[in-house]
Amino acid sequence: MSLLKRASFLLWELLQELSDESAYRRHLAYHGRRHSPEEWRRFSDQRLQAKYVRPKCC
Amino acid sequence: MRRLIGHLFWAAVSVGAAFFLAGIALERGEPVNSMWLVLAATCTYLVGYRFYAKFIAAKVMVLNNDRATPAERLRNGHDYEPTNKWILFGHHFAAIAGPGPLVGPTLAAQFGYLPGTLWLIIGAVLGGAVQDFVILFCSMRRDGKTLGQMAREEIGKTGGIAALLTVLFIMIILLAVVALVVVNALKGSPWGTFTIAATMPIAIFMGLYLRYWRPGKVLEVSLIGFALVVLSIFGGQRVAESPALAPWFTLGGMSLAVAVIIYGFFASALPVWLLLAPRDYLSTFVKLGVVLMLGVGILFVRPELQLPAFTRFTDGTGPIFAGKIFPFCFITIACGAISGFHSLISSGTTPKMIAKEWHAWPVGYGSMLLESFVGIMAMIAACVLQPGVYFAVNSPAGIVGTTPEAATATITSWGFPVTVGEMEQLARDVGEHTLFYRTGGAPSLALGMAHIFATGAGGRAIVGFWYHFAIMFEALFILTIIDAGTRVGRFMLQDLLGHLHKSLGRTSWMPGVIGASAVVVLAWGYFLIQGVRDPLGGINSLWPLFGIANQLLAAIALCVATTILIKMHRARYMWITCLPLAWLVVVTFTAGWQKIFSPEPRVGFLAQADHLESALRSGQIAAAKVAESQALIFNARLDAAVCGIFLFLVALILADSIRVWAGILRGTREAKVTEAPFVPSRLRPEEI
Repeated sequence: MSLLKRASFLLWELLQELSDESAYRRHLAYHGRRHSPEEWRRFSDQRLQAKYVRPKCC
Repeated sequence: MRRLIGHLFWAAVSVGAAFFLAGIALERGEPVNSMWLVLAATCTYLVGYRFYAKFIAAKVMVLNNDRATPAERLRNGHDYEPTNKWILFGHHFAAIAGPGPLVGPTLAAQFGYLPGTLWLIIGAVLGGAVQDFVILFCSMRRDGKTLGQMAREEIGKTGGIAALLTVLFIMIILLAVVALVVVNALKGSPWGTFTIAATMPIAIFMGLYLRYWRPGKVLEVSLIGFALVVLSIFGGQRVAESPALAPWFTLGGMSLAVAVIIYGFFASALPVWLLLAPRDYLSTFVKLGVVLMLGVGILFVRPELQLPAFTRFTDGTGPIFAGKIFPFCFITIACGAISGFHSLISSGTTPKMIAKEWHAWPVGYGSMLLESFVGIMAMIAACVLQPGVYFAVNSPAGIVGTTPEAATATITSWGFPVTVGEMEQLARDVGEHTLFYRTGGAPSLALGMAHIFATGAGGRAIVGFWYHFAIMFEALFILTIIDAGTRVGRFMLQDLLGHLHKSLGRTSWMPGVIGASAVVVLAWGYFLIQGVRDPLGGINSLWPLFGIANQLLAAIALCVATTILIKMHRARYMWITCLPLAWLVVVTFTAGWQKIFSPEPRVGFLAQADHLESALRSGQIAAAKVAESQALIFNARLDAAVCGIFLFLVALILADSIRVWAGILRGTREAKVTEAPFVPSRLRPEEI
């Protein structure tokens, strides 16, 4: 049961990481800011700018 | 006692690997169940992971958990962040898994299931996973430097520039070939075209939702997006059945190619949050979900393989692509066995997220094994089709004949019986007008996947839904690659043009953005249109070119890795990277040479051009086809030139690397290691 719980937790964390939601939480914590639409847009612009200068794998 | 059980377990796995590999290699005359492939691959991966990869980690790279990784030392809450190894494993796998391991094995199945399967398993364990692992390690020890930066620093300026140019050229060919796969999958298919067209407004809706309505709710909007995409599959069925709407979405190859080119241009020039990013989020989740579904489906259904271990086409006369099993099987399957593109990912985001050095073992080596397993699943999906159906779907009209009757007669004469009636019934089942001449691998893969999914759930009644679900899944992330690839190509070009004129290099200067986007789109668009016009289906010339390019990039990565190992005073272990490097050099240079100089027109580009030219001179070509033939002649020579440039660039890097290795080994050159200095790790287990 605990293995299943751990696997579900990891899957959830993976989804959060892939969706950049974890990165956004870290961003808020690191800069000591609170969530707001403007903050998300600032974070998202920086994140996506860095992400899409690299080729995607074939 | 625990130790003894461990020894017994690994002995059983090793014996199992040998037994199942021997089983698939020696079994003849009766159908082989797909579970043999699954078990052969799984046992071999486990042995490779536990023994070979651990040996590399412990003895060659000497991974050290007491050494702080860049994620810990340079932690910034953005890209440098210590991450749980299993989360990073999934993240890295999602980044390396693209259409390559799905399409390559599907095409290579023309040789039978055995050659491709063995290459996927052995190539990944001894080559692809080693490349990914070692490059990840090298980048991690250098604060996450890219392959280009490492090539410049470790080998020299020439190596660095050659690596950059190779990446740019490969991107152009990659984008053209994946776009061709989509075009061939959607050709004459209103259902598929509607579904894929619908993903664009869906992605824009997701972008707006995320930007303005519910900022930050990526998972939520991805779920909504997925529901809308599934609805669009049902909508596609209605469109295909509607006499009024179906003609709007029934497009030929050229119209679809032009549409994809226009799409690529706008997608690369539009703000990234509007179309590219939401589609990327969605395609990543769909990709992981479908891979999982396919794995479960194969385990649940355990289908029998219909294609034989070897077909008659090992002699090089295959209808899907020409060329003998050596070297073309190893070129056709690049991703899934060894892919140079992975070295760009292993030296990208991942090294900046590794919490402990030993995590590179599952992340670098392990995730490549999983990608190889995706290739095995694609091979199974292709081989569960009746061989006659497989060849009827994948063979171009230029080879099998321009009418269904001629095509089925040709394919049946090869010993793979198929009838027009069977093909028509199959097309009706999946809601298509026809399944003949659907080259590119995507439709046959979708048929195989639909067969597995429908056997597992829903039966024949919903095989059409599963077929179009599989097409949507393939097209969705191929279009994401086109968006992102065009954008990256634009950045690379602007970077180069910036040396000529400053404003051309500014990514915020609109004329520069539009101009560079147009150049990149026209470059891959040219090859795409060439593929659409090609009477042999385009895949015959473009896919090998892409395979050669991708594996030459792997050769560059292995040159860099070998140089670093020698500089680390690990020359006695350089065989670890030199073994796959030597194989790749032999395979790619043989394939490259044959693609340029083979006297067989279906194989050699120059022979193809000469053949067409002599036909033109002797008046064998109708007046209406003269301009088209002249274009084909030019394209064949262009392909030969592109192939020659690839080989030249890699020969240059190889020669430069050997010069550096010889200098260090002879003691005439300093073995200066450029890795970041040792800093003790203070990362607590609860932080990861």
